[in-house]
Amino acid sequence: MTLYTCLFYVLAVAIVTTTGIAITQRNLVHAVIYLVFSFFGSALLFYLLGAPLLAALEVIVYAGAIMVLFLFIIMMVKMESIEERMPPLGQWLPAVLCGILYLALGAVVVYTAPGSEFPLQTAMATPVELGKYLFQRHWLSIEIVSLLLLVAIIGALHLGKRKETGGTEEP
Amino acid sequence: MAVPWVSDLTLLAAILATLLPLCSFLVVMLFTRSHPRISAGLSIGAMSVSLLCALFLLNEHWHMEKPLEYAGRWLVSGSIEIPFGFLLDPVSLLMLAVVAVIGFLIQIYSLGYMAGDPGISRYYAFMSLFLWAMMSLVVAPTLFQLYIFWELVGLSSYLLIGFWYEKFSASQAGKKAFIMTRAGDVAMFLGMLLILLHLGNLSILEIDSPALAARMSPRLLTLSALLIFGGIIGKSAQFPLMTWLPDAMQGPTPVSALLHSSTMVAAGVYLFERLFPFFFFSPDAMTFGLFIGTLSMLLASTMALVTRDIKEIWAYSTISQLGYMIMGLDAGAFFSGAFHLTTHAAFKALLFLCSGVLIHTFETNDIYELGRKGGRSLKVPMACCCIAAGALAGLPPLSGFFSKGLILEGLADLSNPVWLIAALFGAFLTAYYAFRPIFIILFPREASGEPEVHSATSTSKDHSAGHSSSHYWLMGWPLILLAGATLCLGFLKAPLEHFMGQTALPGVKGIGHPVWLLYTEIILAVGGVGLAWMEFGRRCAQQVGFVEKIPALHRLFAERWYLDHFYGWFVDRVIDRGVSALFTQNDHRVIDGSIDGISRGTVETGRLISHMHLGMVQYRLLAMFVVMVLLAFYFFF
Amino acid sequence: MRIVPFGHVLLLAGLLFVMGAFCAVTRRNLVMIVLGVEIMLNAAGIAFVGSALRWGQLEGQACVFFILAVAATEVAVGLAMIVFAYRKTGSFDPAGYNQLK
Repeated sequence: MTLYTCLFYVLAVAIVTTTGIAITQRNLVHAVIYLVFSFFGSALLFYLLGAPLLAALEVIVYAGAIMVLFLFIIMMVKMESIEERMPPLGQWLPAVLCGILYLALGAVVVYTAPGSEFPLQTAMATPVELGKYLFQRHWLSIEIVSLLLLVAIIGALHLGKRKETGGTEEP
Repeated sequence: MAVPWVSDLTLLAAILATLLPLCSFLVVMLFTRSHPRISAGLSIGAMSVSLLCALFLLNEHWHMEKPLEYAGRWLVSGSIEIPFGFLLDPVSLLMLAVVAVIGFLIQIYSLGYMAGDPGISRYYAFMSLFLWAMMSLVVAPTLFQLYIFWELVGLSSYLLIGFWYEKFSASQAGKKAFIMTRAGDVAMFLGMLLILLHLGNLSILEIDSPALAARMSPRLLTLSALLIFGGIIGKSAQFPLMTWLPDAMQGPTPVSALLHSSTMVAAGVYLFERLFPFFFFSPDAMTFGLFIGTLSMLLASTMALVTRDIKEIWAYSTISQLGYMIMGLDAGAFFSGAFHLTTHAAFKALLFLCSGVLIHTFETNDIYELGRKGGRSLKVPMACCCIAAGALAGLPPLSGFFSKGLILEGLADLSNPVWLIAALFGAFLTAYYAFRPIFIILFPREASGEPEVHSATSTSKDHSAGHSSSHYWLMGWPLILLAGATLCLGFLKAPLEHFMGQTALPGVKGIGHPVWLLYTEIILAVGGVGLAWMEFGRRCAQQVGFVEKIPALHRLFAERWYLDHFYGWFVDRVIDRGVSALFTQNDHRVIDGSIDGISRGTVETGRLISHMHLGMVQYRLLAMFVVMVLLAFYFFF
Repeated sequence: MRIVPFGHVLLLAGLLFVMGAFCAVTRRNLVMIVLGVEIMLNAAGIAFVGSALRWGQLEGQACVFFILAVAATEVAVGLAMIVFAYRKTGSFDPAGYNQLK
């Protein structure tokens, strides 16, 4: 039981707890805030698993940009006041059942598959390494993704252009 | 076949004999439809070559040791191999010759009879098709091939009966013939399948061999024999399916002659001959056949007593003579049936051709009309007609006497005397109805008297003079030839019997010759003729038959024992109201209902599904999730 | 230095994924649906980073990079559509969007 192990479990518990609260919150703003904490936890986990660049991006993009975007929308349309209906039984029962099934299956697979006991050793991929790797090996994908972002911006602008604010900015 | 077929004269002749009519049919139908003369010439030419080949074959194999079988593979399906070929044995050779001779004579005769008809090309084409089918049927080595041509015979007789299709009754009669024979054919087909299941093939020689009886249980054997006999009943117009034959008179008279003498109806009896040993293995089927034959013979004879249509009289007589043949065969006297078939072919063709001349000249079918218009003035046809009627009645020097005598002898060998008595009674009736029209035509009784007759004669002479004499003689020559055949065939009994007996068939009994039977036959025939003379021929006779004096009986006979009424009733009540009502119900309830149900089900399912996903994104997400989980299970287990 | 067995990382990712799916499937609010999708994407990212460490390959981290980009795109378009839909119907309830029915 090393320090890193402890750190992992603490982070895992933190992530799961905050996510669990987030998805059950009636209040949307609270839910988003909890989720921001969850993403912070994920960022730390990334760091622990040797991906500092991704940890930074997680904080910037997920916790920063995306969640803030959510907050913008929620506040813009004054969603706090909207009362959310409880989902009908026919909707959440299959979801819960399938979720449990899925988890059970996942556990079985994880513990029976060879190599899942493989202990992870700390290692670090420096941002420089990852950046070089990305732009050397996956430059085409990078281009495509940037194009995708561009298209998304145009689409979002087009959708939100009618009246008043567009309501979207891009990270 | 190892032997090149060109060098084998027998095979070449067989191929030529059976294939040439087909060729002429095709050529006429395809190329020369608009040239009646060429069509007729082609058809007759092909037929004459066939005739020569058939006679050559008969001559060549007069002393044959064992049946010749030529077969080429035609179709293989799994373990079942269907060969196509020729089976030449005395039975088929004799029949082939008979068909060829009669067919040829009738084609010549048709030249005169059909002259001026617009459809003469079609007529000759169908004639060729008919003869081809019949001749191929005769030489078929397997039951399967026989069945194919059996159906072709049915088809072409349908075409010929309905030849004047613009006449409503003709097309109706064609349909009736087709459908009624089909009813029998279904039974026959089932019987064939039964045999095929047990024997593995349908070779006639194998069916006739005792091996089959060993393979099938007696019950199955009887069943299949009865089923095949059903086909014979349909084709040969025996008891339950007999009414199509009188209606088939709607065709041209030469067609009737061909149909009645040697082709269509003879096919049934021929099949019986062909499978004689097979039937012989099943005594029950034989008894049943005997019963059916007797019944049809008597029924048809009574019907013939009252009708005024000359062709119908001969049609009924055909049924009753076929009944005789079947009786003879069923009694176990193989040769008697075959011989009667041969002699019957000659005299029945003759009868029809003679009445054809009368009808052609006077344009009426009614015997009283014919007599009044001076039928007796046509000397040659009337003389021939008398000869043929004598043969039909079984008067001594004529062929019918010998063959009918053989049948009676066969029946006398049976332990049960009922059949013999029935047959003798039938012989008496036959003689009576055969001479009834003859006397009516020869001695017309009209209220006036001799002068009227003279004037009628003179007018008819004008009439026949107006008719070109070459046509008359075209029709006359076949008559004379056939009359000669009718006269002589009886004396060929011994050689023919020798010929047929060469390939010894199992179960042919030695036939005793009780002398009293011969005398009884003669007495009955003469008695029948005498009765006819008393009632119709005498100078002071009223020309009213004894049957007509009993109105109930007369009506019963004239209405064909109400068989047609029964069929009409049956079709109307049982089929129309019962079965088809059931089908209508089925249509409404089951088919419409199920289709409605399907559409309703679809609508309901759609509604259900539309409830389920209301156009809502989330349910789709849910469905995706569920499917994903299930897929995960599928992939991992 | 050892951290944890690889299986534990995967379990964590799976748990998060189910939570996200549950959120997306049951919450009757369009914003929460998109949020649920984000959680699922994040879970996938965790699994990828874990496997990158497990096999010592950078490929997994590269994938997370692209997932981030796609998530951002999805949120941008998704939220724009939500706003658009809200303007049409005045509601965030997905059950209200049944005009196709």
